Amino acid sequence: MRLRVNGKEVEAHPGTLLLEVAEVPTLCHHPHTETRGLCRLCLVEADGRLVPACATEAREGMELRTETEGLRTLRKTLLEWLALTTDLAQAPDLLALMERYGAEPERWGEVPGRRGREVLKDNPFYLRDYAKCVNCRRCVDACGDGIMGVYALTLEGRGLLAHPTTPLDRPLPETPCVFCGNCIQVCPTGALRPLSMEV
Amino acid sequence: MRTTCPYCGVGCQVEPRLKEGRIVEVRGAEIPPNHGALCVKGRFGLDFPFSGKRLLYPMVRERKGAPLRRATWEEALDFAARRLLEVLGRRGPEALAVFPSAKTTNEEVYLAQKLARALLGTNHVDHCSRLCHSSSTAALSRSLGGASMTNPLEDIWKTDLFLVVGSNTTETHPVIGAMIKKRVRQGAQMIVVDPRYTGMAEASTLWLRVRPGTDLFLLNAMARFILEEGLWDRAYVEARTEGFAEWRASLEAYTLEEAERITGVERGKIALAARLYATTERAGTYWAMGLTQHTKGTATVQALVNLALLTGKVGKEGAGLNPLRGQNNVQGAGDMGALPDVLPGYWKVADQEVRRRFEALWATPLNPDPGLRMTEVFERIPEVEAIYLIGEDPVTSEPYQDHLKAQLEALPFLIVQDILENETTPFAHVVLPAASFLEKDGTFTNTDRRVQRVRKILDPPGEARPDWWITRELGKRLAQALGRPWTLHPGPEAIWEEIRQAVPEMVGGITYRRLEGEGVRWPCPQEDHPGEAVLFRERFNTPSGKARFIPVHFTPPAETPSEEYPLVLSTGRVLYHWHGGTLSRNSRLQEAYPELKVEVNPKDAGRLGIHDGEIIQVVSRRGRIRARAWVTDRTPEGVVYAPFHFAEAPANRLTLDALDPTSRIPEYKVAAVRLEKLD
Ligand code: SF4
Ligand code: SF4
Ligand code: SF4
Ligand code: FES
Repeated sequence: MRLRVNGKEVEAHPGTLLLEVAEVPTLCHHPHTETRGLCRLCLVEADGRLVPACATEAREGMELRTETEGLRTLRKTLLEWLALTTDLAQAPDLLALMERYGAEPERWGEVPGRRGREVLKDNPFYLRDYAKCVNCRRCVDACGDGIMGVYALTLEGRGLLAHPTTPLDRPLPETPCVFCGNCIQVCPTGALRPLSMEV
Repeated sequence: MRTTCPYCGVGCQVEPRLKEGRIVEVRGAEIPPNHGALCVKGRFGLDFPFSGKRLLYPMVRERKGAPLRRATWEEALDFAARRLLEVLGRRGPEALAVFPSAKTTNEEVYLAQKLARALLGTNHVDHCSRLCHSSSTAALSRSLGGASMTNPLEDIWKTDLFLVVGSNTTETHPVIGAMIKKRVRQGAQMIVVDPRYTGMAEASTLWLRVRPGTDLFLLNAMARFILEEGLWDRAYVEARTEGFAEWRASLEAYTLEEAERITGVERGKIALAARLYATTERAGTYWAMGLTQHTKGTATVQALVNLALLTGKVGKEGAGLNPLRGQNNVQGAGDMGALPDVLPGYWKVADQEVRRRFEALWATPLNPDPGLRMTEVFERIPEVEAIYLIGEDPVTSEPYQDHLKAQLEALPFLIVQDILENETTPFAHVVLPAASFLEKDGTFTNTDRRVQRVRKILDPPGEARPDWWITRELGKRLAQALGRPWTLHPGPEAIWEEIRQAVPEMVGGITYRRLEGEGVRWPCPQEDHPGEAVLFRERFNTPSGKARFIPVHFTPPAETPSEEYPLVLSTGRVLYHWHGGTLSRNSRLQEAYPELKVEVNPKDAGRLGIHDGEIIQVVSRRGRIRARAWVTDRTPEGVVYAPFHFAEAPANRLTLDALDPTSRIPEYKVAAVRLEKLD
């Protein structure tokens, strides 16, 4: 099957995600977890419609555009909002994207966010520093359906205050958590990190 | 840098990141078998090489009663060689035993068994899987002619029904446990046979809570029911098996009614399980120590094998017979010949043709008599006068601890080669400090026969040296004195090259260069061979090419509850710890699970007035230990469950040394005990 990506013809197998035929930035997508289309960073224009590349399959004859002016602006804004509300200091991939899209978070002024949240240390293995979280939900999925089937993490709250945590905010040792650290491995921002990393 | 997790047989590929001589983070590598996933042990428990208990320099004990004193390598190795030669000269090869370890690399195991066989002339070679899967090895070998998982782990994604018997997979092989659970979420079914309500039981579609030690009855009853209902695979049985008629006749007594009475599982559930297993094309069987560690361990695994043959499940994708190997290199240790009756590649020492082949390779005559198994060697002390122990801690892992200690006390000469001080070190006459997995190169073979690289990331501390180096140097001294040949391999890769020559049909096609990427599964005879995933597609590894049905009968456990000891003790593991605890309890894992907790059913606890969290004593005919009671209905009424990782409260002080007649595995899973309150 054939489609066009930014004017160039490419070959793809049925079932291929757009993400696999075009290079686009991603955030919530992770091959191990079943996250689908949450962060919108990977939006592309397919036959004139905006679709998430991480959750859309390639189709015969599709016309795909990945770097239009509109998409660039959208990504720039999304990244600016992330940088405003959370601390991306330990998210090198996102910092690189901000650079690439010329993000200037300052232009929005102050907004309420999670930057002030305290670091949670409730077990011998890793900490949860949600001031750095971008709500991608990879951790929730790794712990749940994606890998472990343990469901020690869920998403609580709405809108800007939505955040991943344990059910009823219990300390991790009081949840079914088995400390496999698969949530840490998929977390893109350092919001979850091993205690051994702290000096 | 990527290496292989040193804990369990899953063989996860780990990428430890080190900074200033400590591990700051461990990531799972994005390749098979784990595809990025890890469990708590691989993720957070790899820091034991930094423990203060590391053995840092060689030590010798000149005389009985003298303390161990520091020595140079020269001195310690000379001393060890001299004492071994002295025993050999005076008493002959039968007085010596060498125990390699399923925690060391293939190269190291190979060299150690070669030292035993080619230099000392003894076949008293064995390793710790004697205590875990020897029953599986025995049953699978005699029926199929091979003793490994028949199917690869990737087949989990193709399996529609899992029959999991006596395996607490989510705690003992966590990454496999997570894979199986995920497959169940995708729609596969899972039957779990276990007395305890484990994570697997919780995720199952059908849980059969058998009484401890009665699995064999249940499996035979399932087979009988499948035959009665005509659900068996007649074509498969005719074309690919032998011994069917005789076996069929042996099932007479195993009715569902009897099974219900003996196992405590309702007959309807047994029938349902049998029907599901027989009628699902892609049904895979997985098992572990719950099945093997019994006086009828071999028979019970055999019952499972018979059931799989009856329904045509072996040699097919997504099905098969899959023993989950415990230690990281149990598979490899067996493959490399750390067993008393076989040479590398499972070639029988008793077979003259086979011996010729290895005699040619090692340029020395070999002893034709199969050796003693580990458990038997300890019984033969002081007839056995010298033991060379590599990475094993029998004081913690063998049953009936007090008896074993007395035996070691009476042993004239013991070499302990290990990375950490453990419960057995005080009995040593020579201590040889070894390098940990982070500090050496080599290969491990995981549970699905995948040979994977171990890579040196750090230098060993103090004067510690890799096991292969120590064995090579000891061998050099023995060889010189005996006037026999001994190759001084420059490193692990050179040893691996010799292994490829020794067992070409198994690993001839596997080179270190190929292992740069992902591991390669044996059998892999040539370099362009991809490695075999599913075994026995066309024929079995028996002389006739057919698999054998073998009748097995139920016998009750060696010790049954009495008035004085009314409860059944079952031992096992917990997620946070590993076997004797030597590694895990010297890592960060210790903080998460610091002390022994025994599971007591609320009904028993109520009757005895035991509260959750209270310190109690568990008493058997052989000894007593203190433990914290965890009142939970994970464990059934009448049963107490104790993990055996805690040297200060060793569950194995309570277990008995009744052995399986075939595999010589001890009955760790059933001992009669009582609980006592402390006041
Ligand atoms: S460490 Fe705990 S929270 Fe994280 S994925 Fe594992 S079980 Fe879930
Ligand atoms: S903690 Fe990490 S993985 Fe979880 S939602 Fe936040 S950024 Fe994503
Ligand atoms: S599952 Fe086994 S091999 Fe994998 S990380 Fe855990 S202990 Fe290590
Ligand atoms: S990566 Fe596609 S929506 Fe987040």
